[in-house]
Amino acid sequence: MMTCHYFRTNLQPGNADAAMLEHLRHCDACLDFAMSVDPDLFFRSLGGEELIPPGGIDAFVGDVMSQVRVYDAEASLAPRHAVSAWQRWAIAATVAAGVTGATLAYRYEHPVQAQAPAHLVAAVRPRPTTTATKSFVETYSSHDATIVEMPNDGSDTKVVMIFDDKLPADL
Amino acid sequence: MIPTKESVELDDRQLVEQIRRGDDGAFEMLVRRKTSKVYGLCYRVIGNGEDAKDISQLVFLKLWENLEKYDAMYAFDTWLYRMVTNVAIDFMRSKQSRDNAVNSNLRLVKTSIDPEQTVTVARKEVESVFNAVSNVLSPKQKTIFVMSEMEDLRSSEIAKVLGCRESTVRNHLFNARKLMQAQLRKRFPEYARLWEESR
Repeated sequence: MMTCHYFRTNLQPGNADAAMLEHLRHCDACLDFAMSVDPDLFFRSLGGEELIPPGGIDAFVGDVMSQVRVYDAEASLAPRHAVSAWQRWAIAATVAAGVTGATLAYRYEHPVQAQAPAHLVAAVRPRPTTTATKSFVETYSSHDATIVEMPNDGSDTKVVMIFDDKLPADL
Repeated sequence: MIPTKESVELDDRQLVEQIRRGDDGAFEMLVRRKTSKVYGLCYRVIGNGEDAKDISQLVFLKLWENLEKYDAMYAFDTWLYRMVTNVAIDFMRSKQSRDNAVNSNLRLVKTSIDPEQTVTVARKEVESVFNAVSNVLSPKQKTIFVMSEMEDLRSSEIAKVLGCRESTVRNHLFNARKLMQAQLRKRFPEYARLWEESR
Protein backbone atom coordinates (compact mmCIF):
# COMPACT_ATOMS: atom_id res chain seq x y z
CA MET A 1 0.00 0.00 0.00
CA MET A 2 1.41 3.37 -1.03
CA THR A 3 1.89 5.92 1.72
CA CYS A 4 0.67 9.51 1.52
CA HIS A 5 4.24 10.70 1.79
CA TYR A 6 5.32 8.60 -1.18
CA PHE A 7 2.30 9.77 -3.18
CA ARG A 8 2.95 13.46 -2.52
CA THR A 9 6.65 13.17 -3.22
CA ASN A 10 6.26 11.30 -6.51
CA LEU A 11 3.13 12.82 -8.04
CA GLN A 12 3.96 14.64 -11.27
CA PRO A 13 1.49 16.57 -13.44
CA GLY A 14 0.14 14.38 -16.24
CA ASN A 15 1.95 11.34 -14.93
CA ALA A 16 -0.33 9.41 -12.63
CA ASP A 17 0.20 5.68 -13.07
CA ALA A 18 -2.24 3.01 -11.93
CA ALA A 19 -0.74 2.73 -8.43
CA MET A 20 -0.85 6.50 -7.92
CA LEU A 21 -4.45 6.62 -9.09
CA GLU A 22 -5.30 3.75 -6.79
CA HIS A 23 -3.99 5.73 -3.83
CA LEU A 24 -5.73 8.91 -4.97
CA ARG A 25 -9.04 7.08 -5.22
CA HIS A 26 -8.86 5.84 -1.66
CA CYS A 27 -7.25 8.74 0.20
CA ASP A 28 -9.29 11.86 0.84
CA ALA A 29 -6.32 13.60 2.43
CA CYS A 30 -4.32 13.46 -0.80
CA LEU A 31 -7.12 14.58 -3.10
CA ASP A 32 -6.65 18.30 -2.36
CA PHE A 33 -2.94 17.97 -2.83
CA ALA A 34 -3.35 16.02 -6.07
CA MET A 35 -5.61 18.66 -7.49
CA SER A 36 -3.12 21.38 -6.74
CA VAL A 37 -0.49 19.44 -8.67
CA ASP A 38 -2.64 18.30 -11.60
CA PRO A 39 -6.23 19.57 -11.85
CA ASP A 40 -7.04 16.85 -14.35
CA LEU A 41 -6.91 14.42 -11.43
CA PHE A 42 -10.05 16.02 -9.99
CA PHE A 43 -12.46 13.77 -11.81
CA ARG A 44 -10.02 10.87 -12.07
CA SER A 45 -10.54 10.30 -8.37
CA LEU A 46 -14.01 9.00 -9.24
CA GLY A 47 -12.80 5.99 -11.13
CA GLY A 48 -11.40 2.67 -10.09
CA GLU A 49 -14.14 1.80 -7.65
CA GLU A 50 -16.16 -1.36 -8.26
CA LEU A 51 -19.75 -0.27 -8.48
CA ILE A 52 -22.63 -2.54 -7.60
CA PRO A 53 -26.14 -2.07 -8.99
CA PRO A 54 -28.93 -1.20 -6.53
CA GLY A 55 -30.27 -4.39 -4.99
CA GLY A 56 -26.96 -6.23 -5.27
CA ILE A 57 -25.30 -8.43 -7.87
CA ASP A 58 -27.38 -11.56 -7.17
CA ALA A 59 -30.66 -9.75 -7.77
CA PHE A 60 -29.24 -8.10 -10.86
CA VAL A 61 -28.05 -11.39 -12.35
CA GLY A 62 -31.39 -12.99 -11.50
CA ASP A 63 -33.24 -10.22 -13.35
CA VAL A 64 -31.01 -10.58 -16.38
CA MET A 65 -31.46 -14.35 -16.52
CA SER A 66 -35.24 -14.09 -16.24
CA GLN A 67 -35.27 -11.53 -19.06
CA VAL A 68 -33.16 -13.89 -21.14
CA ARG A 69 -35.66 -16.72 -20.52
CA VAL A 70 -38.54 -14.47 -21.59
CA TYR A 71 -36.59 -13.50 -24.71
CA ASP A 72 -35.93 -17.17 -25.54
CA ALA A 73 -39.58 -18.07 -24.99
CA GLU A 74 -40.69 -15.27 -27.32
CA ALA A 75 -38.13 -16.30 -29.91
CA SER A 76 -39.34 -19.90 -29.83
CA LEU A 77 -42.94 -18.74 -30.42
CA ALA A 78 -41.97 -16.67 -33.44
CA PRO A 79 -42.40 -18.33 -36.88
CA ARG A 80 -39.40 -20.49 -37.71
CA HIS A 81 -39.17 -19.40 -41.33
CA ALA A 82 -39.53 -15.72 -41.07
CA VAL A 83 -40.41 -14.14 -44.40
CA SER A 84 -37.93 -11.50 -45.49
CA ALA A 85 -38.99 -8.01 -46.59
CA TRP A 86 -38.28 -8.82 -50.26
CA GLN A 87 -40.33 -11.98 -50.08
CA ARG A 88 -43.18 -10.02 -48.54
CA TRP A 89 -43.04 -7.49 -51.38
CA ALA A 90 -42.98 -10.27 -53.97
CA ILE A 91 -46.04 -11.94 -52.41
CA ALA A 92 -47.90 -8.62 -52.27
CA ALA A 93 -47.07 -7.87 -55.92
CA THR A 94 -48.25 -11.33 -57.03
CA VAL A 95 -51.55 -10.99 -55.18
CA ALA A 96 -52.10 -7.48 -56.60
CA ALA A 97 -51.36 -8.67 -60.16
CA GLY A 98 -53.76 -11.62 -59.73
CA VAL A 99 -56.60 -9.45 -58.46
CA THR A 100 -56.09 -6.88 -61.24
CA GLY A 101 -56.00 -9.61 -63.92
CA ALA A 102 -59.16 -11.27 -62.61
CA THR A 103 -60.98 -7.92 -62.52
CA LEU A 104 -59.98 -7.07 -66.08
CA ALA A 105 -61.03 -10.52 -67.34
CA TYR A 106 -64.41 -10.23 -65.59
CA ARG A 107 -65.04 -6.78 -67.04
CA TYR A 108 -64.09 -7.99 -70.49
CA GLU A 109 -66.65 -10.80 -70.27
CA HIS A 110 -69.37 -8.77 -68.53
CA PRO A 111 -69.15 -5.22 -69.81
CA VAL A 112 -71.00 -2.86 -67.52
CA GLN A 113 -72.37 0.46 -68.64
CA ALA A 114 -71.44 3.09 -66.25
CA GLN A 115 -74.36 4.82 -64.55
CA ALA A 116 -73.84 8.49 -65.21
CA PRO A 117 -75.79 11.17 -63.35
CA ALA A 118 -79.19 11.99 -64.79
CA HIS A 119 -78.32 15.53 -65.97
CA LEU A 120 -75.28 14.18 -67.85
CA VAL A 121 -77.30 11.43 -69.45
CA ALA A 122 -79.81 14.00 -70.61
CA ALA A 123 -77.07 16.20 -72.05
CA VAL A 124 -75.42 13.37 -73.90
CA ARG A 125 -78.58 11.62 -75.18
CA PRO A 126 -79.14 12.39 -78.91
CA ARG A 127 -82.11 14.60 -79.51
CA PRO A 128 -84.88 13.13 -81.68
CA THR A 129 -84.30 14.16 -85.27
CA THR A 130 -87.19 15.37 -87.42
CA THR A 131 -87.50 13.23 -90.48
CA ALA A 132 -88.30 15.07 -93.72
CA THR A 133 -89.95 13.31 -96.58
CA LYS A 134 -87.85 13.62 -99.60
CA SER A 135 -89.37 14.30 -102.98
CA PHE A 136 -90.65 11.23 -104.64
CA VAL A 137 -89.51 10.77 -108.24
CA GLU A 138 -91.97 8.98 -110.48
CA THR A 139 -90.59 9.85 -113.84
CA TYR A 140 -87.14 10.89 -114.86
CA SER A 141 -85.72 11.99 -118.18
CA SER A 142 -82.13 12.99 -118.82
CA HIS A 143 -79.52 12.54 -121.54
CA ASP A 144 -76.57 12.36 -119.15
CA ALA A 145 -77.99 9.87 -116.66
CA THR A 146 -77.14 6.24 -116.42
CA ILE A 147 -80.13 4.19 -115.40
CA VAL A 148 -79.66 0.74 -113.99
CA GLU A 149 -82.71 -1.43 -113.53
CA MET A 150 -82.36 -4.28 -111.08
CA PRO A 151 -83.57 -7.62 -112.33
CA ASN A 152 -87.13 -8.32 -111.18
CA ASP A 153 -87.66 -11.41 -109.00
CA GLY A 154 -91.34 -11.60 -109.89
CA SER A 155 -92.72 -9.19 -107.29
CA ASP A 156 -94.36 -5.81 -107.93
CA THR A 157 -91.38 -3.88 -106.57
CA LYS A 158 -89.01 -2.57 -109.15
CA VAL A 159 -85.60 -1.18 -108.19
CA VAL A 160 -84.08 1.34 -110.48
CA MET A 161 -80.78 3.17 -109.83
CA ILE A 162 -80.11 6.49 -111.55
CA PHE A 163 -76.53 7.90 -111.73
CA ASP A 164 -76.57 11.55 -112.80
CA ASP A 165 -74.17 14.34 -111.76
CA LYS A 166 -76.78 16.99 -112.43
CA LEU A 167 -79.29 15.68 -109.93
CA PRO A 168 -79.75 17.83 -106.75
CA ALA A 169 -77.69 16.61 -103.71
CA ASP A 170 -80.70 16.12 -101.44
CA LEU A 171 -82.60 13.87 -103.76
CA MET B 1 -27.34 -25.52 -15.33
CA ILE B 2 -25.25 -24.95 -12.17
CA PRO B 3 -21.87 -23.37 -12.92
CA THR B 4 -19.08 -25.81 -12.19
CA LYS B 5 -15.66 -25.03 -10.73
CA GLU B 6 -14.26 -25.66 -14.20
CA SER B 7 -16.35 -22.89 -15.77
CA VAL B 8 -15.24 -20.45 -13.06
CA GLU B 9 -11.70 -20.72 -14.33
CA LEU B 10 -12.60 -20.23 -17.97
CA ASP B 11 -11.64 -16.97 -19.64
CA ASP B 12 -14.19 -14.78 -21.43
CA ARG B 13 -13.71 -16.37 -24.85
CA GLN B 14 -14.08 -19.88 -23.45
CA LEU B 15 -17.21 -18.86 -21.61
CA VAL B 16 -18.66 -17.52 -24.86
CA GLU B 17 -17.90 -20.86 -26.52
CA GLN B 18 -19.73 -22.66 -23.70
CA ILE B 19 -22.73 -20.36 -24.10
CA ARG B 20 -22.81 -20.99 -27.82
CA ARG B 21 -23.03 -24.69 -27.05
CA GLY B 22 -26.17 -23.98 -25.02
CA ASP B 23 -24.74 -23.64 -21.50
CA ASP B 24 -26.98 -21.09 -19.75
CA GLY B 25 -24.88 -21.41 -16.60
CA ALA B 26 -21.89 -20.07 -18.50
CA PHE B 27 -23.91 -17.01 -19.47
CA GLU B 28 -24.90 -16.47 -15.86
CA MET B 29 -21.23 -16.68 -14.96
CA LEU B 30 -20.34 -14.13 -17.61
CA VAL B 31 -23.04 -11.72 -16.41
CA ARG B 32 -21.83 -12.06 -12.83
CA ARG B 33 -18.25 -11.44 -13.91
CA LYS B 34 -19.01 -8.35 -15.99
CA THR B 35 -21.78 -6.73 -13.94
CA SER B 36 -19.68 -4.21 -12.03
CA LYS B 37 -17.73 -3.26 -15.15
CA VAL B 38 -20.88 -2.72 -17.22
CA TYR B 39 -22.86 -1.10 -14.43
CA GLY B 40 -19.90 1.10 -13.43
CA LEU B 41 -19.49 2.49 -16.94
CA CYS B 42 -23.25 3.00 -17.34
CA TYR B 43 -23.48 4.71 -13.96
CA ARG B 44 -20.61 7.09 -14.66
CA VAL B 45 -21.95 7.98 -18.08
CA ILE B 46 -25.61 8.25 -17.09
CA GLY B 47 -25.18 9.47 -13.52
CA ASN B 48 -28.28 7.76 -12.13
CA GLY B 49 -28.29 4.40 -10.38
CA GLU B 50 -31.72 3.15 -11.48
CA ASP B 51 -31.27 4.19 -15.11
CA ALA B 52 -27.78 2.69 -15.12
CA LYS B 53 -29.20 -0.59 -13.80
CA ASP B 54 -31.87 -0.70 -16.53
CA ILE B 55 -29.35 0.11 -19.23
CA SER B 56 -26.95 -2.52 -17.91
CA GLN B 57 -29.69 -5.16 -18.07
CA LEU B 58 -30.49 -4.09 -21.60
CA VAL B 59 -26.81 -4.47 -22.47
CA PHE B 60 -26.73 -8.05 -21.19
CA LEU B 61 -29.91 -8.88 -23.07
CA LYS B 62 -28.34 -7.51 -26.26
CA LEU B 63 -25.24 -9.51 -25.46
CA TRP B 64 -27.31 -12.70 -25.29
CA GLU B 65 -29.09 -11.79 -28.50
CA ASN B 66 -25.90 -11.05 -30.43
CA LEU B 67 -23.45 -13.50 -28.96
CA GLU B 68 -23.30 -15.40 -32.25
CA LYS B 69 -21.82 -12.30 -33.88
CA TYR B 70 -18.88 -12.08 -31.49
CA ASP B 71 -15.59 -12.74 -33.24
CA ALA B 72 -13.12 -14.38 -30.88
CA MET B 73 -10.26 -12.70 -32.78
CA TYR B 74 -11.03 -9.55 -30.80
CA ALA B 75 -10.92 -8.89 -27.06
CA PHE B 76 -14.26 -9.66 -25.46
CA ASP B 77 -14.14 -6.55 -23.26
CA THR B 78 -13.71 -4.28 -26.29
CA TRP B 79 -16.82 -5.83 -27.87
CA LEU B 80 -18.73 -5.55 -24.59
CA TYR B 81 -17.67 -1.93 -24.06
CA ARG B 82 -18.81 -1.10 -27.59
CA MET B 83 -22.24 -2.49 -26.77
CA VAL B 84 -22.37 -0.57 -23.49
CA THR B 85 -21.34 2.72 -25.07
CA ASN B 86 -23.83 2.35 -27.93
CA VAL B 87 -26.75 1.67 -25.61
CA ALA B 88 -25.68 4.35 -23.10
CA ILE B 89 -25.13 6.99 -25.79
CA ASP B 90 -28.56 6.26 -27.32
CA PHE B 91 -30.14 6.58 -23.88
CA MET B 92 -28.29 9.84 -23.17
CA ARG B 93 -29.34 11.33 -26.48
CA SER B 94 -32.99 10.64 -25.83
CA LYS B 95 -32.72 11.93 -22.27
CA GLN B 96 -30.61 15.03 -22.87
CA SER B 97 -33.30 17.20 -24.38
CA ARG B 98 -35.69 16.49 -21.49
CA ASP B 99 -33.07 17.48 -18.92
CA ASN B 100 -32.06 20.83 -20.38
CA ALA B 101 -34.73 22.82 -18.56
CA VAL B 102 -33.87 21.24 -15.20
CA ASN B 103 -30.15 21.96 -15.60
CA SER B 104 -30.66 25.68 -16.13
CA ASN B 105 -32.42 25.85 -12.75
CA LEU B 106 -29.60 23.96 -11.04
CA ARG B 107 -27.11 26.46 -12.41
CA LEU B 108 -28.89 29.33 -10.71
CA VAL B 109 -28.71 27.58 -7.37
CA LYS B 110 -25.05 26.62 -7.53
CA THR B 111 -23.64 29.97 -8.69
CA SER B 112 -24.78 31.55 -5.42
CA ILE B 113 -21.76 30.02 -3.61
CA ASP B 114 -19.10 32.52 -2.57
CA PRO B 115 -16.11 32.11 -4.89
CA GLU B 116 -13.70 33.23 -2.17
CA GLN B 117 -14.86 30.55 0.19
CA THR B 118 -12.10 28.14 1.19
CA VAL B 119 -12.93 24.61 0.21
CA THR B 120 -11.50 21.23 0.78
CA VAL B 121 -12.27 18.79 -1.95
CA ALA B 122 -14.33 15.97 -0.58
CA ARG B 123 -14.60 12.85 -2.66
CA LYS B 124 -18.34 12.51 -2.15
CA GLU B 125 -18.78 16.00 -3.60
CA VAL B 126 -16.69 15.30 -6.66
CA GLU B 127 -19.32 12.92 -7.96
CA SER B 128 -22.13 15.43 -7.70
CA VAL B 129 -19.93 18.14 -9.22
CA PHE B 130 -19.09 15.80 -12.09
CA ASN B 131 -22.75 14.94 -12.68
CA ALA B 132 -23.63 18.62 -12.74
CA VAL B 133 -20.88 19.91 -15.01
CA SER B 134 -20.70 16.94 -17.38
CA ASN B 135 -24.18 17.67 -18.67
CA VAL B 136 -22.67 20.15 -21.10
CA LEU B 137 -20.85 17.33 -22.86
CA SER B 138 -22.35 15.46 -25.77
CA PRO B 139 -23.15 11.81 -24.99
CA LYS B 140 -20.11 10.73 -26.99
CA GLN B 141 -17.77 13.23 -25.31
CA LYS B 142 -18.98 12.16 -21.89
CA THR B 143 -18.55 8.49 -22.70
CA ILE B 144 -15.00 9.09 -23.91
CA PHE B 145 -14.20 11.23 -20.88
CA VAL B 146 -15.49 8.55 -18.51
CA MET B 147 -13.63 5.74 -20.27
CA SER B 148 -10.40 7.73 -20.26
CA GLU B 149 -10.49 9.38 -16.84
CA MET B 150 -12.42 6.90 -14.72
CA GLU B 151 -12.11 3.57 -16.44
CA ASP B 152 -8.45 4.30 -17.24
CA LEU B 153 -8.68 3.12 -20.83
CA ARG B 154 -6.00 4.31 -23.24
CA SER B 155 -6.94 6.37 -26.29
CA SER B 156 -6.12 3.43 -28.56
CA GLU B 157 -8.48 1.17 -26.58
CA ILE B 158 -11.27 3.77 -26.65
CA ALA B 159 -10.78 4.13 -30.41
CA LYS B 160 -11.26 0.37 -30.80
CA VAL B 161 -14.38 0.41 -28.66
CA LEU B 162 -15.96 3.28 -30.57
CA GLY B 163 -14.65 2.21 -33.97
CA CYS B 164 -12.98 5.56 -34.67
CA ARG B 165 -9.46 6.95 -34.97
CA GLU B 166 -7.26 7.63 -31.98
CA SER B 167 -6.94 11.28 -33.01
CA THR B 168 -10.74 11.59 -32.88
CA VAL B 169 -10.71 10.27 -29.32
CA ARG B 170 -8.00 12.76 -28.32
CA ASN B 171 -9.96 15.63 -29.90
CA HIS B 172 -13.11 14.66 -28.04
CA LEU B 173 -11.14 14.39 -24.83
CA PHE B 174 -9.51 17.79 -25.30
CA ASN B 175 -12.86 19.45 -26.01
CA ALA B 176 -14.52 17.65 -23.11
CA ARG B 177 -11.89 18.88 -20.64
CA LYS B 178 -12.21 22.43 -21.97
CA LEU B 179 -15.99 22.41 -21.64
CA MET B 180 -15.84 20.90 -18.16
CA GLN B 181 -13.38 23.55 -16.98
CA ALA B 182 -15.61 26.32 -18.30
CA GLN B 183 -18.62 24.80 -16.56
CA LEU B 184 -16.72 24.33 -13.34
CA ARG B 185 -15.69 28.00 -13.42
CA LYS B 186 -19.27 29.06 -14.03
CA ARG B 187 -21.12 26.80 -11.63
CA PHE B 188 -18.60 25.81 -8.99
CA PRO B 189 -16.18 28.75 -8.74
CA GLU B 190 -14.85 27.48 -5.41
CA TYR B 191 -13.44 24.38 -7.13
CA ALA B 192 -12.41 26.24 -10.25
CA ARG B 193 -10.29 28.57 -8.10
CA LEU B 194 -8.36 25.59 -6.78
CA TRP B 195 -7.93 24.39 -10.30
CA GLU B 196 -6.73 27.74 -11.63
CA GLU B 197 -4.33 28.32 -8.75
CA SER B 198 -2.48 25.18 -9.66
CA ARG B 199 -2.09 26.21 -13.33
